[in-house]
Amino acid sequence: MTRFGRGRLRRILLGAIPFLVLGTLWQMNAVYRWLAPIHMPPPAAVWSAIFTLQEGCPGLLDALRQGSGCLLTNHILSSMGRVALSLLVGLPLGIAFGVLAGIHRRLGNALEPVGVFANAISGIAWVPLAIVWFGVGWRTTLFILLNTVFWLVFFNTLLGVRGVPRVYEHGVLALGATRWKVITQVYVPGALPSIVTGIRMSMGFGWRALIAAEMIGGDRGLGFMLFVSAQEYKTEEVFLGVLVIAVIWMLTDRACLVPLERWTIERWGLVWRPS
Amino acid sequence: MYDGEFAAVVGPSGCGKTTLLNILAGLLPYRHGTVQVDGVPVKGPGSDRGVVFQEHAILPWRTVARNIGHGLELQGVPRQERRRRVREFVELVGLAGFEERYPHELSGGMKQRVALARTLCANPVIMLMDEPFAAVDAQTRITLQEELNRIAIATRKTILLVTHNVDEAAFLGDRCFVFTRRPGRLKATVTIHIPRDRRIWKEVVADPAFTARRDEILELVRAEVRVE
Ligand SMILES: Nc1ncnc2c1ncn2[C@@H]1O[C@H](COP(=O)(O)OP(=O)(O)O)[C@@H](O)[C@H]1O
Ligand SMILES: [Mg+2]
Repeated sequence: MTRFGRGRLRRILLGAIPFLVLGTLWQMNAVYRWLAPIHMPPPAAVWSAIFTLQEGCPGLLDALRQGSGCLLTNHILSSMGRVALSLLVGLPLGIAFGVLAGIHRRLGNALEPVGVFANAISGIAWVPLAIVWFGVGWRTTLFILLNTVFWLVFFNTLLGVRGVPRVYEHGVLALGATRWKVITQVYVPGALPSIVTGIRMSMGFGWRALIAAEMIGGDRGLGFMLFVSAQEYKTEEVFLGVLVIAVIWMLTDRACLVPLERWTIERWGLVWRPS
Repeated sequence: MYDGEFAAVVGPSGCGKTTLLNILAGLLPYRHGTVQVDGVPVKGPGSDRGVVFQEHAILPWRTVARNIGHGLELQGVPRQERRRRVREFVELVGLAGFEERYPHELSGGMKQRVALARTLCANPVIMLMDEPFAAVDAQTRITLQEELNRIAIATRKTILLVTHNVDEAAFLGDRCFVFTRRPGRLKATVTIHIPRDRRIWKEVVADPAFTARRDEILELVRAEVRVE
């Protein structure tokens, strides 16, 4: 009853109020025409943009296939697919290097400044160089994402591993653990809250960087869709794209990442350390 | 140390008791002398020497039962056998009903019981303890000391306890090794001839054999503190 208690419901309702106000204003604008539809398309136009974009779509299953004429779902899946791919590759790499740097003092000291350096450069700043290296297309956008995911996960894992009290390692060693067991049973779980925070941060930054990269250096994806629609003055498609980007992120963060973060930290009674 | 002996190392704070214990455990390198367990020199940490640390060293992401069974898990003991042994030690330290709790749900005294059970369950040749009850309140400490004595009887383990608490050393030790202040050296050895089953606080405080030994140790330790 705590999870879906009254306090939580009230908080959700409270948070929905600004959206309701904005939505009402938006709909009023459609009626009173304070701003021209080319600048501020009515909600109904944005809604029907979904169907315009999906016009060439033969069926529900085809929406999953790239190049099937289901433009909106293709762009969404393309962006999300790259996020998934970057997680699949970037996460194990970031965790592996982070753990290694965390347990090996000299290696850690050598790699930490690079981590700070890499995280200081926002993902989007790499786009021009990435275009030179990889050309316009999926390689560039994937590189931008991977770059963001890897360094954030690496850095947070490093900090997490360093924060694990030495006495845990000593205790497990005295129980007869090998070096490998110490890593998998002490350092990785001990760093998990920090790693999860790193994943959450990298998804947030990565998603934003990806959209921007798709605009400049991509040939598909939601960012690319925004860019093309704006050039063709299809403002309702731009609005739709922005809403989709925000909703996908909110759903991912609120429904997956925040619960995951809370689960690891609260279950073990660990205090979240801001990094 | 003899088999089945309970030795207590007592000395002023900062004299190197923790350092000594970590060397015995193989967690710190030593330059001079030798450390042997049953004639085999110590080269690093191993499951023949169990350690109960001053701080809470049990893993917060493991339940009580999984912490206690950790040593057996590392030794590759099959699950069925492990469960049986874990239950035995959970009961020995009086934690029945708390098996599935996480450490953050336990009091300080209970956490040290888990640490004690975790070490014993791995069945070491010798158990090393570093001020295990220093961080709990006075009432709990007395209870835990009596329980440790009961466990020493039940398991007949060889135990080395390190402490700055003279009462604790005298209450638990068969032999008490008194250390000088830093750099700590062995100053005196005090033998305490009180049968284990008579070591109950209410009884020993009225026993002149105990109080005389305790005061002797107290004098030895205080002389060290006074010189500073
Ligand atoms: N024999 C020694 N010579 C010099 N320094 C020592 C010696 N023994 C311990 N120390 C140092 O004294 C400090 C306190 O030692 P510690 O073992 O923690 O003491 P205790 O556990 O008795 O309070 C540590 O920094 C340790 O390195
Ligand atoms: Mg100490």
